[in-house]
Amino acid sequence: MDMEQLKDQWVAAEEQDGVRLSWNVFPSNRLESSRLVVPIGVLYTPLKEKEQPPVQYEPVTCKAPCRAVLNPYCQVDSRAKLWICPFCLQRNQLPPHYKDIGPNSWPLELSPAFSTIEYKLARPAPAPPIFLFVVDTCQEEDSLKALKDSLIMSLSLLPPHALVGLITYGTMAHVHELGYTECAKSYVFRGNKEYSAKQVQEMLGLLAAGLRPQQAPMAPGRPQPHMPPSSRFLLPVQQCEFQLTNALEQLQKDPWPVANDKRPLRCTGVALSVAVGLLETSFANTGARIMLFSGGPGTEGPGIVVGPELREPIRSHHDIERDNIKYYKKATKFYENMAKRTAHNGHIIDIFAGCLDQVGLLEMKSLANSTGGHMILTDSFTSSMFRQSFVKIFDKDAADNLLMGFNASLEVLTTKELKVTGLIGHAVSMNKKSTSVGETECGIGNTCSWKMCGLSPTTSVATYFEIASQAGPAQQQQGPQKGLIQYLTYYQHSSGQFHLRVTTIGRDLSGPTGDPSIAHSFDQETAAVLMARIAVFKAEVDDGPDVLRWVDRMLIRLCSRFADYRKDDPTSFRLEKNFTLYPQFVFHLRRSQFLQVFNNSPDETAFYRHVINREDVGNSLIMIQPTLDTYAFDEPSRPVLLDSTSIQPNHILLLDTFFHILIFHGETVAEWKKVGYQDQEGYENFKKLLELPKEDARELIADRFPLPRFIVCDAGGSQARFLLSKLNPSTTHTSGGYGGVPQNAQTIFTDDVSLQTFMEHLMKLAVTGTN
Amino acid sequence: GTQGGYGVPQGMSGAGAGNIAAGGYEPAGAPGMGGVTQSFGQMGLTPAGGIQKVQSLNPLFTTDLMQQPLNVAELEFPPPEILLPPNASLTPSPNSNCPPQYMRSTINAVPTTHSLLKKSKLPFALIIQPYTSLHDAEDPVPLVSDTVISRCRRCRSYINPYVTFLDHGHRWRCNMCNLTNDVPQAFDWDQAAQKNLDRWQRPELNSSVVEFIAPQEYMVRPPQPLVYLFLLDVSYSAVQCGLLATAARTILESLDRIPNADKRTRLGFICVDSSLHYFAIPRDSSEPSMLVVSDLDEPFLPIPGDLLVPLAECREGIENLLGKLQDMFQNSQNGSSCMGSALQAGHKLISAIGGKIIVLTATLPCLGAGKLDNREDKKLLGTSKESALLQTANSFYKSFAVECSKNQVSVDMFLFSNSYQDVASLSNLPRYTGGQTYFYPGWNATRSEDAIKFAREFSDHLSAEIALEAVMRVRATTGLRMQTFYGNFFNRSSDLCAFPAFPRDQGYVVEVAIDEALGKQFVCMQTAVLHTTCNGERRIRVMTLALPTTQNLSDVYASADQVAITTFFSHKAVEKTLSSGLEQAREALQAKLTELLITFKKELTASHVGAATPLSFAANLRGLVVLFLGLMKHVGLRKSAQIPTDLRSAALCLLSTLPAPMLIQYIHPKFYSLHDMPDSCGLPDPTTGEIILPPAMNLSSERLAPFGCYLIDDTQVQFLWIGPQAVPQLVQDVFGLPGVEHVKVGKTTLPHLEGPGSEFNERVRAVVEKSRDHKSKKVGSITVPHLYVVRGDGEPSLRLWAQTMLIEDRTDQGVSLGQFLAQLKEKVNNS
Ligand SMILES: [Zn+2]
Ligand SMILES: [Zn+2]
Repeated sequence: MDMEQLKDQWVAAEEQDGVRLSWNVFPSNRLESSRLVVPIGVLYTPLKEKEQPPVQYEPVTCKAPCRAVLNPYCQVDSRAKLWICPFCLQRNQLPPHYKDIGPNSWPLELSPAFSTIEYKLARPAPAPPIFLFVVDTCQEEDSLKALKDSLIMSLSLLPPHALVGLITYGTMAHVHELGYTECAKSYVFRGNKEYSAKQVQEMLGLLAAGLRPQQAPMAPGRPQPHMPPSSRFLLPVQQCEFQLTNALEQLQKDPWPVANDKRPLRCTGVALSVAVGLLETSFANTGARIMLFSGGPGTEGPGIVVGPELREPIRSHHDIERDNIKYYKKATKFYENMAKRTAHNGHIIDIFAGCLDQVGLLEMKSLANSTGGHMILTDSFTSSMFRQSFVKIFDKDAADNLLMGFNASLEVLTTKELKVTGLIGHAVSMNKKSTSVGETECGIGNTCSWKMCGLSPTTSVATYFEIASQAGPAQQQQGPQKGLIQYLTYYQHSSGQFHLRVTTIGRDLSGPTGDPSIAHSFDQETAAVLMARIAVFKAEVDDGPDVLRWVDRMLIRLCSRFADYRKDDPTSFRLEKNFTLYPQFVFHLRRSQFLQVFNNSPDETAFYRHVINREDVGNSLIMIQPTLDTYAFDEPSRPVLLDSTSIQPNHILLLDTFFHILIFHGETVAEWKKVGYQDQEGYENFKKLLELPKEDARELIADRFPLPRFIVCDAGGSQARFLLSKLNPSTTHTSGGYGGVPQNAQTIFTDDVSLQTFMEHLMKLAVTGTN
Repeated sequence: GTQGGYGVPQGMSGAGAGNIAAGGYEPAGAPGMGGVTQSFGQMGLTPAGGIQKVQSLNPLFTTDLMQQPLNVAELEFPPPEILLPPNASLTPSPNSNCPPQYMRSTINAVPTTHSLLKKSKLPFALIIQPYTSLHDAEDPVPLVSDTVISRCRRCRSYINPYVTFLDHGHRWRCNMCNLTNDVPQAFDWDQAAQKNLDRWQRPELNSSVVEFIAPQEYMVRPPQPLVYLFLLDVSYSAVQCGLLATAARTILESLDRIPNADKRTRLGFICVDSSLHYFAIPRDSSEPSMLVVSDLDEPFLPIPGDLLVPLAECREGIENLLGKLQDMFQNSQNGSSCMGSALQAGHKLISAIGGKIIVLTATLPCLGAGKLDNREDKKLLGTSKESALLQTANSFYKSFAVECSKNQVSVDMFLFSNSYQDVASLSNLPRYTGGQTYFYPGWNATRSEDAIKFAREFSDHLSAEIALEAVMRVRATTGLRMQTFYGNFFNRSSDLCAFPAFPRDQGYVVEVAIDEALGKQFVCMQTAVLHTTCNGERRIRVMTLALPTTQNLSDVYASADQVAITTFFSHKAVEKTLSSGLEQAREALQAKLTELLITFKKELTASHVGAATPLSFAANLRGLVVLFLGLMKHVGLRKSAQIPTDLRSAALCLLSTLPAPMLIQYIHPKFYSLHDMPDSCGLPDPTTGEIILPPAMNLSSERLAPFGCYLIDDTQVQFLWIGPQAVPQLVQDVFGLPGVEHVKVGKTTLPHLEGPGSEFNERVRAVVEKSRDHKSKKVGSITVPHLYVVRGDGEPSLRLWAQTMLIEDRTDQGVSLGQFLAQLKEKVNNS
């Protein structure tokens, strides 16, 4: 098969199973696998939207402890009513209602087209999905108003039976008792105190009322006593919409006075711990989202990220590097513990930041990262970026169910050659040991099962594998041997039932040492994304330069291993077609905001890293290496190199970095626009030229989550720096005179090495074989 | 007419109407002497140039206690007359000396030396009641409104009717310390009218009781507004017994009665169970919102404003809240109360301004700050260990009270528990902050009598024109020193009593020491209460009492005031109970009485020998025996194993706060015979319009005829006693029922009979009503006593309770008056 066909196959597999692999042929021994440099990895999108509706029956599973689910790779003896589990090789009896299966009536799960199948299980969720809004009231009126409007509007997007609750906070945290109809009522927690879960529950009256002297007869028409106590705070939307809308409308800026030289007191930590405690009591292991709307940094109580004194700035990357941080470690620890607790309870925490300054996303990141929550970083809740991203969370499927999965666990089963070494994504370990668990660890390892409290159809996790066997395939079987991986995603569907999504993939095992099919099976795009996740994972714990060195070393080693060259002769260096783009990806990754943090605030860094950890290959690649299209008169738009040479005075550029979408008018275009030719007769083509990139941008934005920042700028304008920072500095102030660069190219003021220089170095190092 | 129609034997009628001439203590057979003495007294006050009289003091009349029993009407007599030397006061005004309702002394002739006082064994104390009604309009006091306040430079006394002008009226000599002071320039100038003023018209020179409007210098900050913060118990028992609903409704209905002339009055509400429920009442909204705080570690306010709101501006929200309160908590299952924490929270809320915290609770505070245990052990009652239960269980209540006092916060306690509530501990808060403890044992709103009593009392309480951020100081002529202070306040420094709020229904006692020999013919004592009125005016109420001095022990005895003395010893007994115990308090009372009798015998009577010796005593002190007996047999003090601690504690609160006229009746109840009351009784007096009461009787069950109908009234409860042999006509006339067997005993309201033959019912009701009347007693009070109907053959416990008021009777643990006298006599004779 040629490269294009292979690629089509990979895309088809992604379409069907939501998987992309770095290597599509698995080496059959450990030695071979150790020489791959890029680990075997699968970027898996567990809830990737499927056309087929879920099947309404229970899956057939292998005996304990294997529990693998019947799949197209199983051998089925329809006469003996037996099936052999490819993972544990045990024989299993087919259930009685499978007695009539045969070549003419094959159950769906055995059909290769259903290598990914979803079961709607008979088990209903213990409660409808829960949405608990945690709203910062230390905001300017317009911002708070916009937020209130968004929240009120969102009530109409929720399923009527979904439970909702409201916590507001500023100097103190208020839990609104929406079930109370006599008047607006809230429970108030002081903002500067750490409350244990038990205290929260006691103070909200959620514990069994043992204090009453005697049981009084219940008045008729009162809430039934068997309702959980938390039902005072969390009620079905349809029941409390009026009350909640009222409560939201009545919300006012935190009433405590703020001195001119102070930040408002904002007890984000207490508000969140109360939210977590509230859900913990009655709704552990029931799908729930805590949605935090933060208008600024926590300045009070546990989880404080900056003091209330305005002259004290919030920590920067430099402060962290210099260990000049007063609150950072304590706050991080506080939120990490909270994140663990929340994940353990199966609940999600989303963070929506609406603030020009930082809100402490860096410290709070584990909340979203561990629970599968969203992170949306915007300048203000008045921005469309917030409004539209927020609305998008409530997207629904054709059956009008919210496109979100709750309280999921993802389990990985492997055939014996393969072992899973870890997962990188928004999950926590469930510490489940099995024969599928590998010896080494990549990301969150030492388990075959992870908890993912929140899933969306695009949530993608990176799973990494190693080869276990020392020698080649043991059994002699017909046809090429396959290594199999089964993903079991068990989750609470927003319709109220539990679902099980089963994806079983098989890939050929390579022949004896030196099988070229391995190299051919390299998916450089996926590899770049999987390596980016590892790099980001490392960057969270290691120093920046160390991570960069590791990235470089891995690239050089990969090239040494798979390029064609004569030793010590860089000019002889050649890469196979399916490797050629990889160094470029790595070049851009090195320069990206994921690894170069100093141009961004720590909050932005946390945000960017959060997003790359949940997107699929396509989106992640845009983040790593943005796309650039050029628009000129009388020719269709076309992609151009992400290079300063692509800037032309009479062209328009459309840059997509995933986070930003930018339209750049070349110098001449900008001048014409200024003069207003687009509005004059006879210049319709200019008008059209201006419109085209806008239309394309709109299309890009439409599907994007979170909504990207949209920038329109002209050559020489201050906003143009967004574009320039992404371009390969092929013409910098240091290389100005040489290189045959076109006269009209833009010069980039940067000390970064250019891609050309980078490649030169790479070739030199790869061929020396010292790495 | 009904007179004599109920089978009353001849001769019983009108018992007690005796042969006492009004107002005198002279022995029977010397009619008119008292009247003459009184006339002399008035003559002594005649203006200069009138009839001059050599100063003479009240003559001493000696009586034999064994032979001449007390007529209880004597307890109503005015105190022995204060006979000052001629021209003692500046003007001939009849108001120049202080009326007894404001300030009275235990002795109206002051020994010139400490040793004479000591020898007399009599106490020297002032009984002070700065306010004699709940509202100014009922007892107005002359007002000095020009803010010209002339005070002695040295002793800071206020100019008063006993100073002397010198130097053509340009200077005045202080009657306390003799310093000569300048008369202020504005003293004779009417600022408003811009013309000269007749100095002699100035109230402070004519009246011993005046009020000054204070100028700026008397304020450390602008006058505080009236603040009422209600702490409402919303736990299970408070909701179930109807306290919450009744309290809320009463507040709602009393909103117009709460003083608010200056529109600055602020109200706040915190509901309390195991959590604190605050209410925000925004000005721009009629919808209150509830903020619940369950974190009791360190009370905090959930929001910075809207919790304590102006009544005038937030009326709608307040009304809305009060209308909803009952519904808000009707399903309460919470049996706990964190009232101590609520108080801390309340303090936090109002301490910047100061004001009243009114606690209404039916639950023992068992959570949070100041939490209390149910420590009452029935086995301890009646034993020496009982006294410990009357002491404070948790130091929080004292220390917090002191904190409140500092910040001008006063606490009133309305207590309603059906079970033990630790009144002993809780009452500390009112005690040190100028508040009061009101106790409603076993209260339940489903009994309309309970609901009405509380609602009326609470509403009156809210309507009272209390003073704020007040201090009281008593100054006196050089040689006298204020030694000990009794009452509900905090004694901030040696002679300064602090009242965050000054109530209008309490009395105070100050013991006076004679430090130096008194060289003057008379001495003065001046009480000044600096305060802010509930309408935001800074004022000083000044009361000046002048008393003659004497070197003569018999003068001292002849001018001793038995009501004031009993009031003093009531406070002492409460103090002794709390510090040493009940037994010790009772013993001290008996010892004091014995000591007085011995002193009187040794110093003031000719020697007698033999068994026939009379038990002599001053006639004007004759009531002391029965009053002391009453004190010793009072529910607060008597020996008994049956009295719940809370009941005792509440009684002790009253014994140490009631104004003297009420206190005396509390110790020695009024006992009226109704079935045979004279025709004039129960009807208005043709001249005064006041209802005429039957003559009061001695508290002895000998007076209870089996066919009679009686009223016993100790100001806190009234018993309507109906004899088992009451004729049907009497029962018909009083109750509208055919026979005594139909009369339902217990707490009740008398039926309102109408039509022909209802006159007697009307008169009985008029007597019951008049007996409750505080105005005629010249005291401010909110108390509406419960009326219990008792049948002589009815429910024994109720009957026995009523009979405990008949203190001359012998009881299980107590002696009869006769036995008491015999004991006293024996001790005196053996001394
Ligand atoms: Zn198996
Ligand atoms: Zn003086």
